[in-house]
Order: sequence, then structure tokens, then C-alpha cells
Amino acid sequence: MSKIRNISNLKELKEKLLKEKKKRFIVIPNGTCGRAKGSKEVSKAMVEKTKGLSVGFEIKITGCIGFCEVEPIVVILPDRITYVRVKEEDVQEILEAVKNNRIVERLLYKDPTTGNRFEKLEDIPFYKKQMPLIFGKNLEIDPKNILDYISQEGYTALAAVIEGMSPDTVIETIKKAGLRGRGGGGFPTGIKWESCRRAQGDIKYVICNADEGDPGAYMDRAVLEGNPHSVLEGMIIGAYAIGAHEGYIYVRQEYPLAVKHFTIALEQAREYGLLGENILGSGFNFDVKIARGGGAFVCGESTALMTSIEGRPGEPRAKHVHTVEKGLKEMPTTLNNVETWANVPLIINKGWKWYSSIGTEESKGTKIFSLVGKVNNTGLVEVPMGISLREIVYDIGGGIRGGKKLKAVQTGGPSGGCVPESLIDTPVDFDKLTEVGSMMGSGGMIVMDEDNCMVDIARYFVGFLKDESCGKCTPCREGLWQMDAILTDICDGKGKEDDIEILEDLAWLMKNCCLCQLGTTAANPLLTTLKYFREEYDAHIKEKRCPAGVCKALIRYSIDKDKCNGCGLCKLKCSVEAITGEKNEVHILDTEKCIKCGICYEICKFDAVVKE
Amino acid sequence: MKKLIIDGIETEPNPEKTVLEVAKELGIYIPTLCYHKSLTPYGACRICIVEIIWKGRSMFHTACTYPAWEGEVRTNSELVRKIRKTILELMLAEAPDSPEIQELAKEYGAEKTRFRERDKANKKCILCGLCVRFCNDVMGVGAIGFKNRGASREIVTPFEEFSEVCTLCGACEFICPTDAFDVSTIAGEKPIPIPSEFDMGLTKRPSVYTPFPQAVPNIPVIDSEKCMFFQNETCRVCENVCEPDAIDFAQKEEKKEIEVGAIIVATGFDPFDASIKKEYAYSEYKNVITGLEFERLISASGPTRGEIVIDGKVPKQIVFIHCVGSRDESVGNEYCSRVCCMFIAKQAHLVNECIPNAEVTVLYTDMRAFGKGYEEFYDRVRMEGVIYRRGNPSEIYRKGEKLIVKAEDTILGEPVEIEADLVVLGTGIVPRNETEDIRKILKLSKSQDGFLLEAHPKLRPVDTALDGVFLAGCCQGPKDIPDTVAQAKGAASSAMSILTRGFVNIEPVVATTDENTCSGCGICEAACEYGALTLDSINRIMIVNEVLCKGCSACASACPSNAIVLKHYTPKQLLSQIEAILR
Repeated sequence: MSKIRNISNLKELKEKLLKEKKKRFIVIPNGTCGRAKGSKEVSKAMVEKTKGLSVGFEIKITGCIGFCEVEPIVVILPDRITYVRVKEEDVQEILEAVKNNRIVERLLYKDPTTGNRFEKLEDIPFYKKQMPLIFGKNLEIDPKNILDYISQEGYTALAAVIEGMSPDTVIETIKKAGLRGRGGGGFPTGIKWESCRRAQGDIKYVICNADEGDPGAYMDRAVLEGNPHSVLEGMIIGAYAIGAHEGYIYVRQEYPLAVKHFTIALEQAREYGLLGENILGSGFNFDVKIARGGGAFVCGESTALMTSIEGRPGEPRAKHVHTVEKGLKEMPTTLNNVETWANVPLIINKGWKWYSSIGTEESKGTKIFSLVGKVNNTGLVEVPMGISLREIVYDIGGGIRGGKKLKAVQTGGPSGGCVPESLIDTPVDFDKLTEVGSMMGSGGMIVMDEDNCMVDIARYFVGFLKDESCGKCTPCREGLWQMDAILTDICDGKGKEDDIEILEDLAWLMKNCCLCQLGTTAANPLLTTLKYFREEYDAHIKEKRCPAGVCKALIRYSIDKDKCNGCGLCKLKCSVEAITGEKNEVHILDTEKCIKCGICYEICKFDAVVKE
Repeated sequence: MKKLIIDGIETEPNPEKTVLEVAKELGIYIPTLCYHKSLTPYGACRICIVEIIWKGRSMFHTACTYPAWEGEVRTNSELVRKIRKTILELMLAEAPDSPEIQELAKEYGAEKTRFRERDKANKKCILCGLCVRFCNDVMGVGAIGFKNRGASREIVTPFEEFSEVCTLCGACEFICPTDAFDVSTIAGEKPIPIPSEFDMGLTKRPSVYTPFPQAVPNIPVIDSEKCMFFQNETCRVCENVCEPDAIDFAQKEEKKEIEVGAIIVATGFDPFDASIKKEYAYSEYKNVITGLEFERLISASGPTRGEIVIDGKVPKQIVFIHCVGSRDESVGNEYCSRVCCMFIAKQAHLVNECIPNAEVTVLYTDMRAFGKGYEEFYDRVRMEGVIYRRGNPSEIYRKGEKLIVKAEDTILGEPVEIEADLVVLGTGIVPRNETEDIRKILKLSKSQDGFLLEAHPKLRPVDTALDGVFLAGCCQGPKDIPDTVAQAKGAASSAMSILTRGFVNIEPVVATTDENTCSGCGICEAACEYGALTLDSINRIMIVNEVLCKGCSACASACPSNAIVLKHYTPKQLLSQIEAILR
């Protein structure tokens, strides 16, 4: 290996790699999500089993490829045959099938509703409507090997920029492409860069915000783990455009694998002369440091993140003067989210015209969402902007689990809101989601069905933010505490008639007066549930009833005499011995003893346990 | 032209300043809690929120952080008041015990809060962070910080142990807008207060202070021995808050030489140190105080705003004692201090006014109501019910909650024991310590009692032996205000009579040096009482200042070589005169 000294060096290397490239791979995605389901064991078994054997296939350990529901996944390239829910003991069978050009039928993905099996990755309904521009390369890249990235058009965008684009042209391209920040705010990236370039300051910084903190959202982690160089390349281009020579990536401590892969990416990029001094012989210097966050949600806010990098407690400050003028260490700073940076090389490589043809009028390109909750196919999905929520939930997500009814989709994380079933055809872009009271956020998408109590959901998010508020400003610190206390009361059946008015007052106050976005958006889950599910609040407060049967204090279990056949299963499972009755006789539930855990309700095969 | 309109008042936008600062300049009040001029605006309490109208849209921003850009600002609109009211309701739930918050909340119509009271240990703190930021950013110490996030936020020291770095400067306590901070909780001890000299140590004073009301000049001074800037080069808060920019840390004390035509010595007195009289247990009991301390206590501008309160209690039985340190051979002061009889009469009278049904006893030696109207006043005080008993106490001791003053009533000729909640000592006047320095410089004499000696007790009471040097006030001897004023006027007019004349008549008989015989040995200089001789060290000749020379001829008698003689009284002239007599 030697340093790439100029652009022709890079081209030569790429040609050489393409020539040498093996054609056949066994890909085992090994992101944090996959590892949780045992992908590490599968890949280990695969490596051990192939030791000394020449199967003609190279094993490639990659990052997450999105369909987390069915992990561990094994994909055979180039045929893209996909095996799902693979276990260690299946490895041998897969290897033999690969050797003999056969397919292991039983490990193919089976649609839970139709029962059809699909051989190829792109045929699986989950992937059909997706447009994996950012995320798609995860399948073919070993994140620990820079050469893999280089062979996949990697750093060509950087080369193009250095070869023939002035910083202003780069900014113009990003502006024309219509790229908007993927971290939640949706601020036009090009304009941000332009302001930072124009701002006065001897030193300028670029920062990658990888402090992904929304519960249930992990898009950025998957990009960092699976394709760290795409983010790095974006940052180098951004630094070139605004005239920065120092950069930071702020990663939360809870993402060890992402930190590890990004550290390797930095080292390799430096080795190859793609980072550091005189990048690609252009005379342009730029380097990136990793700053690790302690896991505070509020540090995802730009000013809090910058104070944290400076070594002080992560507290936001007033942003009347924008961070592009006075950011990190009081210097002009451009901060973008992981996904935003990863979009940059794509735009340079394929041109702004192509990029701006994707998406809607105001929101261009694709967006990765983490689709979780009561949906059949959970995982990370990358879709073009403007796709409807319905398509995401039903076509990609495969509908609601257990054939239940969709109630709402919570988007945008704790700062977002709940979009009700009636608005399920809302197109997903920055502005449309804001119109209905929610927001795009960083891309969390939690699907909720009829068994979810919306008051409880609001309480959960308010409670989460209460714990995550930095506590600096009064309305956020005290407002969230009071809000949480009132919502808890409502869930506990202690709600009062005027609680709603107090909640609305608090929500209005916080929306208008909090110091940072965490506070100003904190009331969104409450406001949207109040707007779309007012009747559930009324039921809790006036009738002391939880329609979804979630709030423990408001529900009661009993046994239907007509349906109980005395099988005794509920009696066996009850941990507090609240159920009594002789075998084959109607059982009785003692409500005094019952702790409302719901086990009896769930296990009764005859629907004899009734929840009221 | 770009305009900034605050509450209808037009002004120029100034992005270098905040809306709060510009509003203040315009005389518009915006409430603040977490703001302090010497700190970077923090924007945490949100109480200074104002309504910004920009392009027809209404936004809310904190005035302390928002730059004074063009546009319209409403500092007290209906929505602003609604916001402040709700914030204050939240604060009432958070800090229910803070009177400051209660008062501010009332201003915005939040008598009670709709929110539930927070379960917090500190029921006054609103977590504005002033103490934390002050300790760190201004004092450079960083002894305290925030613990936890969100609603669990608290202000603590590292590891919640007593701070090792706290300097006990007390800035945290001082700066707290809700009086919620107690520095002893973080340091394990209280800061040692700087006693206020003017209030006789009954209160504390800051390091920058005006010595006393109506001081001349009425300008604050910095106590460089206590000021944190002079100690550690931190703080500088006074500099930040002083709007006319009058603080100058570079100022040093300087020595100036002034040529004058006359000097009036008016150096005053020291009060007698009551702790010398061990039997009165002044240092022992808090409720044995001196007359001057009582004077501050009863003053409307004093530490208790005129209420007589000792240890939180209003005394009912009060004993005044005359002649503490006066007319007392045992402490070396045989003289009468002249003012004590009457100031005690006045104070006894005031007690009667302040504390109804108070039992006031005055123990006196002899009553000396010598001035105009004094005797009448003394009668009046007695008529008011103040009991005068003749006799000096021999001992004061504690018995239960009370003090017992033991004395002999020399009229009844029997010992008495008087119960007291408060004993006031009529401390006398003693010569001021520092006067001695001036006395030596001016070569003045003092009388037996230690006060400066006048030229003649009856005929020249304001003059000294030194021409052009006059005395006024208690430096010359104990006297009350009218006497002091009279003497001061006398001294002033005596000085003026020299100054207006523009020249001085001197005696023709003064010393003179014979340049040929003077060896510059300096013996005569030491002998001169009036400082009239100085040695010209280059020519080694003694120079006579003819204005100062009194013609006493001490120099002439001391000179070993007859080089210095009195004019008109040279040895030759004297011998000629003797010869003529004998003829």
C-alpha cells in the first residue's frame, strides 16, 4: 500500500482493484442490530467452516443492510440470493448449496401474509419500494477496508471536487441539489455551507453529528458502522467548500462499533493520503477527530454538542447568532448529520440534476427511516422523499402485526408527533409532516396499533424528555416535570377536568419560550395526541377508562364464566395466585390480589379472560 | 433608516448590545433573575422574555440574549405577561419558600400556582446557575457545579464533599437572586464577614463601600486588603457594573507635598476600649455594649433600622453606666470625658421612646449637665421615668437569661443588684493613637492627659507653640459638638488671618549662622525644638528658617564653635551691654 499522491493515482488504484475484484461473495451483515440476533456467531461459523476450503467465494462481513426483523441474514453475491433468520447450524447447508449452485429453500424469506418465498434481495417486498442510494452500498462494502469503498466509486467525488470544482461551485451544486439537513431541522445544507464560508474567522470547523438519541432510531449508527468512508468523504468535501481544516465527529459512547469502524476509516484514509495534509496532492489540509459523547440526548442539539466538544457540560445556548458564524470555540462551524454528509458524495458523483429529480418539490433525495413498533417488517428503510406513510407501513413494513388495526405512526422521535391513521396518506417530507403537527426528525418511525394507549404514549415521550432535558431553562426543566406528573396522574385514573387546560398552557409556553429545540418541540407528542386522540384523554379523565387497556390503574381483569373451560393454564401462570378454581371448572380471579400483569389475558386460548 | 422600537420608543439598532441593555438605557424595566452584568448572558430563567415582532410575526426571545437588531420589541405585552406568569407559577412550585419569587409572581398575577410543589431539598433555589457561573467565571474558583440533568438538577461540589478550593469569598451567597445559597453547606464554614467600621462591627460591609452616609467625599472606596481583585486578581465585578466607568484598579496611594500657610490639627479621638474594664465583661457578653454601638443600634440608618434588638430579642431592662474609662485613675484617665453624661441622657430618653415600659437605670458618678439646656433635658429624662442612681458598678455577671449589675448606691449607702437585658457602657474619650505621629512631625507638645497642648489654656486655646499651627476638636481635649464647632471656627479664623495678610511678622531676634566658622556638625539641629534648622549637606552649613525660629537660643548654647548665634544677641553685643551696665 502506498499513499495516493494525486488523482491519477486514485484512478489507477480503482482500476487495479476492479481488475482484481473477486466476483463471488458470501455477505453476512454484522451491524449492532444483527449481532444482537446472533449474526456474529453465524459469521464466525462461516469463517471457520470455510477455512482451508476453496469454495470460490470470499466471505464479507458488512454493516446492517436494513431488514433487521429477519436477521441474521446471509446474501450470496452476485446472485443476491438472500437467506434470513440464519442460525449457526444452517451454515454448513448454505455452504454446500453455494458450492453446488443450489438454493436452500427453507431459509429464503417467506411473506407472512401470502406465504410466498423470495430468492433475491430486491424481490423481497420490504426492499421493493425502497431506494437505497445511501444505504445500498452497505451490502457490498467491508467497512473495515478502504479499498472496498474505493472500488465502489469511493472518493471519486472528492477527486472530482479537487480536480475541477471551486468551493463556490461545490456549494452551488449542493444548493441546486436541494439537500436539506437530515438531522431533523431540514435546513438547506448549501445555504448553511455558504453562510459558513462567508463568515469571518481564521479557523473554521466542520462537525458530523452522530449523537443519535431518539428512542428506536438507529439509521446513523448503521451508516457509520456499514459505510464510514461515505460520511468521511462528505465531510472532506464540506470542509473544502467552507474552508475548514479541522473537523470533529461527535459519536455517542453507546455506539462502540461505529466508533471502531470510523476510527479505522480515519486511520486508513490518512494512510492513503485522503485525509491529513495535502489531500490528493491538492495542497488542501483537513483532518477529523472523534469526540465521544456521554449519551445525553440533549447533546444532539448543535450548541450543546459544541459545548460538549469544548469539554464543558452539554448545555445548549441561545442561537440568535447562528453556529455558522459563531459555533465551536466561537468560530464559524458547519454541523451536519451523518446522513447529510453521506449524501454529499452522491450528489457530486451523480450531479445535482439527477439528485433533485428524486423527492418532492421542497424535499429532495431519499431519507432513511427506522421503522419499528407494531409493524411486521421492522428495520431501516431508505425511501424517496414524498412516499406516503401508507406505503411505508403497509408495502414496506408489511402491515400491522397480528392483523390488528393501525392507530398512529409516531415520527420524528420524542420531538415529533403522532400522525393518526386518518392521515396515513400524508406524503413523507419535511414540510408535510410539520403541517400535520409532527416532524421528520432524524427518521424515527414508530408504528402503533389499537393496543397502544395514546395518553400512555404521550406520557412515555414526555417522561423520556423530562429525564433528558439538560435542566438549564425553567420551562423545559419544570414544565416537563409538571407535564409528566399530570400525564402520570391521568394514566393512574387521578386526572382532573382542568388538567387538559393546564397541559395546553404548558405546551404553549414551552413551544414559545424554551431555550433550545429539545424544549420547544417537547410538547409535540402531547399536542398531536391531544389533537387527534382527544377522546382517549376524555375517557381517562371523565370515565376513568383506558380504551386501549394499557393503563394498569384503569383496567380490570375478570374471567368470563361462559367461556372458561377450566383448563388451568391461567392459574398456573399467575405469579400472585390470584386465580383459583378446580380443574375443568370455571376459574375465579381475585381482583384484590391481581397485579394486572396481563399474563392470563395473553395466554388464555379461549378468550375467557376479559379486560375492561 | 433601520429602527428598533422598544415599547413604542424608537432607537437605533445596535447588534453589539442586547435588547435588555438597550431597554435599560431607555429606562424600560424588564425583570431578570439569572442575568448579571459581569457574566455572559445565560438565558436560563426565561423571565426576561420579550415579544419580538418581525415581518408581522410574533416571536419570543429572552431580552438578555437577543441582540438589539432592528424590529419591534414589546417588553410587557399581554402575551409576555402570560408567559411570565406561567414561568413564575412553575418557579413557585419549584421554590415555594422564596419571598423574592412570591413577590415577583404577585406582580404578574400569580398569587398561587396551579402546579404541584416539587419535592426538593432546597425550597428556594430556581437553578438559575448564577452561583455556579459566578464561582467559576468571575471568581475563577469553580468550587460548585451542576449535578444531574433536567428536573433532578442540583448545585453541588465535586463528590458532594466539602469544597477544598472554596475561598469563602461568599460571592455565591451574594449573587443568589432568591437567597437560596448557604456557602457553609459547601465549605463547612461561613465566610468571615468584614465588620463595618461605621456600624461598630454590628454589621458587615463589602470590600467596596462608602465609609459612612454623607462621607466627605461621598465616594466609595475599595478595601484593598479584602478586595478579591487585589488578593487573587479575580472578580472585577464593581468595574463591570459601574456605569460611569469610575473604577480604576491602577490607583495607588500617593504622597503629596503641599505648601501651606497654616495647619489646623483636628485628628479627633478614640473611644475608650471598654474591654480594659474587665469587671464590666464587655468582651464576654453580647448584651454589654458601648455607647457608640448603642448609637448605631438606635439609628434609623443603622443595622437594625433603629430597632433595639439584641440576639433577636427586644431588651426590657436596660442599665447605662457612666464614666467608663473617664475619671478613673485605675486606667490612667483622671479627666472627665465631658460628653458621656449627656449622650447617656439622650440614649435613655430614646429607649423610652422605642421600647414602651422599658425599665431604664442610669448608674452615675456625678451628673455634669453643664451646657445650655442640658440641665433641663436631664430633668426631663428623669421625669420620663429613667432612674438615676449614684454609684459605679463593681461587677457585671450573668444569672440565667439576665445580667446582674452589682453596685453600691452611694446616696442610699447600700449595695444594689440590678437585673438587665442590656448594659450600655458610657465609654469616654481618649487621645487618638495616630495623633502621636502628627504630633511628632509638627513637634507639638501634649498635656499630662495625653491630648495636644494649646499655647495658653485661657488666652490662646486654639494656638500651639508653633506659629501657624492650630488645634480644633477632641485632639486638644474631650469636648462635645458645640464646643468642637466653636473651637474649629476659632482655629479657622486664626488660620485665615494669617492667610489673608499674605505675609507673617517674625521676631527680629532669630538665629543666624556664621558661614566661616560653621562646620556643619549638626549638633544645633538636634537641639532645635521648632524644626527651624536644616543642614545644607553640600556646603556643610546650617541654614536657619527665620519664620520657624523662635529665637530661644538653644542652638546658640549648643554650638561648640559659636558659629550659630542670635541676631542682636551676639556674644560681642552681649558683652558690650554688660560692659555698659558696669560702667
